[in-house]
Amino acid sequence: MTHSTTDWDALAHRARWQRQARTAAITLFLVAVSIPIILPYFWMVMIAFTARTGGAEADTLWTACAVLVPITIGYAVAYQMLSGRARLAAAGLALALAIALLFVFLGDALHVNNFRFLVNPNVVEELRGKATAGAQFPWVWSAFFNSLVLATVQMLIVVAVSTMAAYYLSRFHFMGRAAFLQSLLILQAFPAITLVIPIFLIVYWVGLLNTLTAPILVITTLELPFFIFIMKGFFDAVPWDTEMSALTDGATRRQAFRMVVLPQVTTGMIAIGVFAFIKGWEEYVFVTGLRTGNSYWVMSTYLYYVREDVMGVDYGLVAAVSVMYVLPSLILYLFAQKYLTQMTLGGVKG
Amino acid sequence: MAEIELRNLSKAWDASVAVDGIDLTLADGEFAAILGPSGCGKSTTLFMLSGVYTPTGGEIRFDGAVVNDVEPRDRNVGIVFQSYALYPNMSVLQNILFPLRFKQVDDADKRAREMAELVQITPLLDRRPSQLSGGQQQRVALARALVKRPNLLLLDEPLSNLDATLRLTMRAEIRRIVTELGVTTILVTHDQLEATTMADRVICMNAGRIEQTGSAEDLYLRPDTLFVAGFIGSPPMNLLAVDPSAAGLRLDVDGPVTLGLRPELLRAAETGVPATVSHVEPMGRETLYTAQSELGQVRFLEPTARPNWAFGDMLKLAFDPADTLLFAPDGQRVPDAHATWKDLAHA
Amino acid sequence: MRTTPRTRAVSDTALFLGPAIVLLAIFFVAPILVNIVVAFTDMSQTLDFKDFPTTKQFNKLGKLDDEALLGIELRRSFYKALMLTLVFVVLTLGIFNLTFALILGLTTTALPDRMGAFFRAVWLLPRMSPSVVYALLWLWVVDSTERGLFNQILMAVGFEPMNLRLDHPMAVIVVANGLIGASLGMIIFTSAIRSIPEHLFHAARADGAGPFSIIRHVILPALRWPISYITIYQALALLVSFEYIFLIMGPARSTMTMAMLSYTKTLAPQIGGGQYAYGAAIAMILIVIGILVALAMWRLTNMKALLQRPRIEVR
Ligand SMILES: Nc1ncnc2c1ncn2[C@@H]1O[C@H](COP(=O)(O)OP(=O)(O)OP(=O)(O)O)[C@@H](O)[C@H]1O
Ligand SMILES: [Mg+2]
Repeated sequence: MTHSTTDWDALAHRARWQRQARTAAITLFLVAVSIPIILPYFWMVMIAFTARTGGAEADTLWTACAVLVPITIGYAVAYQMLSGRARLAAAGLALALAIALLFVFLGDALHVNNFRFLVNPNVVEELRGKATAGAQFPWVWSAFFNSLVLATVQMLIVVAVSTMAAYYLSRFHFMGRAAFLQSLLILQAFPAITLVIPIFLIVYWVGLLNTLTAPILVITTLELPFFIFIMKGFFDAVPWDTEMSALTDGATRRQAFRMVVLPQVTTGMIAIGVFAFIKGWEEYVFVTGLRTGNSYWVMSTYLYYVREDVMGVDYGLVAAVSVMYVLPSLILYLFAQKYLTQMTLGGVKG
Repeated sequence: MAEIELRNLSKAWDASVAVDGIDLTLADGEFAAILGPSGCGKSTTLFMLSGVYTPTGGEIRFDGAVVNDVEPRDRNVGIVFQSYALYPNMSVLQNILFPLRFKQVDDADKRAREMAELVQITPLLDRRPSQLSGGQQQRVALARALVKRPNLLLLDEPLSNLDATLRLTMRAEIRRIVTELGVTTILVTHDQLEATTMADRVICMNAGRIEQTGSAEDLYLRPDTLFVAGFIGSPPMNLLAVDPSAAGLRLDVDGPVTLGLRPELLRAAETGVPATVSHVEPMGRETLYTAQSELGQVRFLEPTARPNWAFGDMLKLAFDPADTLLFAPDGQRVPDAHATWKDLAHA
Repeated sequence: MRTTPRTRAVSDTALFLGPAIVLLAIFFVAPILVNIVVAFTDMSQTLDFKDFPTTKQFNKLGKLDDEALLGIELRRSFYKALMLTLVFVVLTLGIFNLTFALILGLTTTALPDRMGAFFRAVWLLPRMSPSVVYALLWLWVVDSTERGLFNQILMAVGFEPMNLRLDHPMAVIVVANGLIGASLGMIIFTSAIRSIPEHLFHAARADGAGPFSIIRHVILPALRWPISYITIYQALALLVSFEYIFLIMGPARSTMTMAMLSYTKTLAPQIGGGQYAYGAAIAMILIVIGILVALAMWRLTNMKALLQRPRIEVR
């Protein structure tokens, strides 16, 4: 040992140890700050499945936590140590264990009675008599259907209009293109929600108050600049040579758009479609502001008035409605999560 | 098949001139290569020929008829891009069929399969472009460009993404197929070897202009301009600014000129231009030397087997006066003018 | 028969851009103009007006006028709203939308990909949930009785239950908006960090840089534009946001920011007073700020990429 007294093994050991310690510390920190977000959602689910008429049983929440937290930690540790199929097996085991233990400790408390509003149109009236602030509550499915129509139609319009516009802005040269893009940029940064009053007036003047059409058109429009820029980003990324090639192969520009360019931006269309749907599904301000709620119940107003009327009387019902309301958004969100990172905001400098 | 004619063709954007008035005639069935540095307007010329760019000046004629305002889809031009530009959403067969979707063709499927056979991709017809290797994609692109039996085939650096071996085979393949079909073809490339081995005629472009057209030999031995002289050949030609008053040098012209001399035409000899070796680059069979001579810095090639020189060695360099080229200050070659050195042993 | 390029250009524009232009003109541009006009009228519940132009609404905001009683009341609430807005925007932006978003971006990118993505998904949850649901969760968290989630925890560690909505209203709306707001910055910062070339990190590490000097010398310089962008964009968004405040706090005076004031005086369900001109006057202040900020955003835009000229020149 003439050349060196460095103990490489010790250095490597220290480096490994430091790396693991750092990962552990960061994970711990993120878990700690994420608890305030997850816990309320978890509580909502627990209330929905355990609350009896009268109030929420806090005990069940903490019991469930006491069951799930150790299992989750155990799974996380196992995940770190195992790999491949063993991980899958660990996940299955953890899931089975969680379900089994939840049944053992909470079996008596769990019930689906709070979801009776799904089959019984008159739940709210039965609870509160006729003295409901929201007056006549419809069956929840009618609100669900209206929300579905609002969100879907809105999504279709957003996807169609912004795709068409973005393609044209990305691929065609025309007089005033630069000016148009720059104005659109201002509209995109503009805080559209400040316009709720004049929009109400315009909708009133054109006679569209109390309709589903008004919020559909308004929400679509206010999101349009944002989605056009996102789609333009996708179109800008489609190589020019495929389109040039299509033209020399004999296609018109519209044919090239339909057959060659459009299939290359489906990711973008799905992404903006999902986000437009989620936006339409949650809409509250314009649905109430444009008085749509007077004629059409949607999920947001339904939940709002259920909350106003029976919050003190039946927590379970309110939580169950919330669960039903939040579920479509969540499913779509999980599905669309991978697209989120692919969207770039309208030309921000990198 | 068609005869192609470009008359004073130009293309300018607000800020820049990409193509600056070129004249060119291609005979029916001719295979021409456009050679030139990056940004000299090669692709722009092809895009004007295919119709996706509109010229800002001049004319394009197919068989004598001006086609400037004819839509790309009506020109019947086939084009292969550097990146191949295959349609990612279609299978190989659909890619090849695509041009036929816009024509009334009864036996489209048969024609597509024949074309696939010709470029030897029949086993791949059901795959997606993303599942193909570079060489396979390139064949698909070629099949797609040829399936409509174009009047004109445009190849925009089609081989630049391939590895060296594949490039060699594809050169021969493309040449074979194009000859078989007899279609007028323009190949754009950076690679001189590609241009000279594949084309009947080489067109050398620079800064939006045609510097010279001719056979590969013409361009190599008799470059019309300083640019062509410097651009063609590797290692590049020695270009030396010389003065008639320089001691030892005798010129056929008056005034300052540029003397061009290919490195392989310089040799070490008993008499000649004195020089000192400053750099040695062995290149296998031959060795490239850089030397400081009385004429300036020159490079010359010698077989590696010869007694080798090393840094600092002094030697004399001889050349055949007939091999020298003289270029006037405006960059044009002075025809039939040569240079010689005082004590050259004349051959 | 073939159409000429000119007629094709017109029909293309109509087909591709027409729908967007019509929608934007009616429901985006026209409202801006209508708002400016209405702000100078005396429009109220009846939806018509006698006075135009009049600066009555702005006088109400600015100083005492002859309509003594109403005037005093409105003027006070406006100044108060101004202060509350400032506090709300600065706190939420400073604590959550910037600082916490940055922390989330840094920490989640330091973890293995899957884990980082998991935590980002958790933080996006509030943004993806319907606003009414999110607000409801907050009501359950800050419930003043012993049932409130926050109070349960307080009691578990030996404190008295609190009524957060009454005692710390600003804290409630700052945190409620902040938990949503942090996620946008998180996403933008994450993708900016991701796009830093890997070799910069390797080089820094080879030079002996520790995690903090990597953050300081490699990551933060790359986040310059994203941070400016988030600051401006989110300041604007917070300035005009009222949905969550309204859904959680109702028309409480303690959290009556400018946007809230404008909304509750006009359109808020059940309590909206229909004072359209007054609401429009407040909105106009926000709109002017909005336009100025939007213009400022130009500086952050890569105009060259945005306006890049299309390459195909035929229709
Ligand atoms: N759409 C365009 N707008 C403005 N300028 C352009 C455009 N396309 C090309 N140019 C410019 O025209 C010149 C010629 O470009 P071109 O693509 O024809 O070069 P090239 O010879 O094909 O080069 P390369 O070998 O790198 O492909 C370049 O200076 C380029 O910047
Ligand atoms: Mg090119």
